[in-house]
Amino acid sequence: MKRYVTMIACSLVAFAGLLHAQTGTTTLSVTVGPEAALTVTTGTTSLATTSTTFGLPFTGSTALTYQIRTTKSTGSGTLTLKITTDFGGTGGPSVGTPPSAGDTLQYTCTVSAPGTACTGSQTASTSASTSVATFGAGASSTKAGNSASVAWSLTDDPVYSTGTYTATATFTISAA
Amino acid sequence: MGTTGTTRQWVLALTLVIIPARGSTGSGAQTLTAAINPVGSITTPVSASLTAIGTTFQPFSGNLTVNYQARTAPAGGGSITMNVSSDFTPAGGPSAASGALTYTCSSATLGTPCSGTQTASTTVQTPVLTLPASACTGGGGPCSSQNPNSVNLQFTLTDNPVFATGTYSANVTFTISAT
Repeated sequence: MKRYVTMIACSLVAFAGLLHAQTGTTTLSVTVGPEAALTVTTGTTSLATTSTTFGLPFTGSTALTYQIRTTKSTGSGTLTLKITTDFGGTGGPSVGTPPSAGDTLQYTCTVSAPGTACTGSQTASTSASTSVATFGAGASSTKAGNSASVAWSLTDDPVYSTGTYTATATFTISAA
Repeated sequence: MGTTGTTRQWVLALTLVIIPARGSTGSGAQTLTAAINPVGSITTPVSASLTAIGTTFQPFSGNLTVNYQARTAPAGGGSITMNVSSDFTPAGGPSAASGALTYTCSSATLGTPCSGTQTASTTVQTPVLTLPASACTGGGGPCSSQNPNSVNLQFTLTDNPVFATGTYSANVTFTISAT
């Protein structure tokens, strides 16, 4: 009878000098849609007149910075304003209910490209939004934003009582 | 008689003991060698979406979890790196080459995730994770208890008004290496 004794030696050898590398790939996707943002850089606009004889309206200017991206080919955008709070107090100017016929708060627009400024003099309203600028398809501003401004003109009516009156104009920009 | 009988029994007993001693006994040695090399494997999702967060023109953001298994040598180490192997297409949108894509790394279950905010590159590998020496995936003890291991990446993509509307895609390739 034969009996075999087998001796097994196991050696674990680690090869520290070997480099193993493997890769994996992922696709990142992003959908960029139309967007618009607006900053009113003039916090409070003072309307003033240099006339002492009712010959000149109260004037002032509000500066804006806008960012916009409209859909290419089919998109558009608008920048509008509305008087959301009329001049308060008794005996002063009013956009919604002017004390005299012809008393208005009007404005003109200056808008850098790609916006198109409103044409001529616009009359501000408490009941409807009025145009400041429009944007066409594929319009895009710079990352920092582009400039726009509104120059106000408020009738100086002798019936206004002396005092300080405040109204709020709300600007709205939209993109599609 | 009784004594004689006892003597015979002893002789027989010796005979039984001697037989195996006279058999042929051999021995052999065999060496089995297992080469346990440093290894790394990586699994990434096929795709990930970056979506707008917060208000307008804020960055797009998205999460990505990378799974990996690794074994490094006592004098070795390893890493996971990434690069943008194919920039965003079509043209007119974001571009990783311009530095618009950044990411942070967190929650690594083995190794040390990248620190701070990294800017993804189309030309060089950027860090995701560093593996120490003698690292190993799974099993607990000296190895990690998780198998596979994972690390989370939070991507951020700048939103710029100059990007044309549309859907854009880029490929990000992760590489794990181990020594």
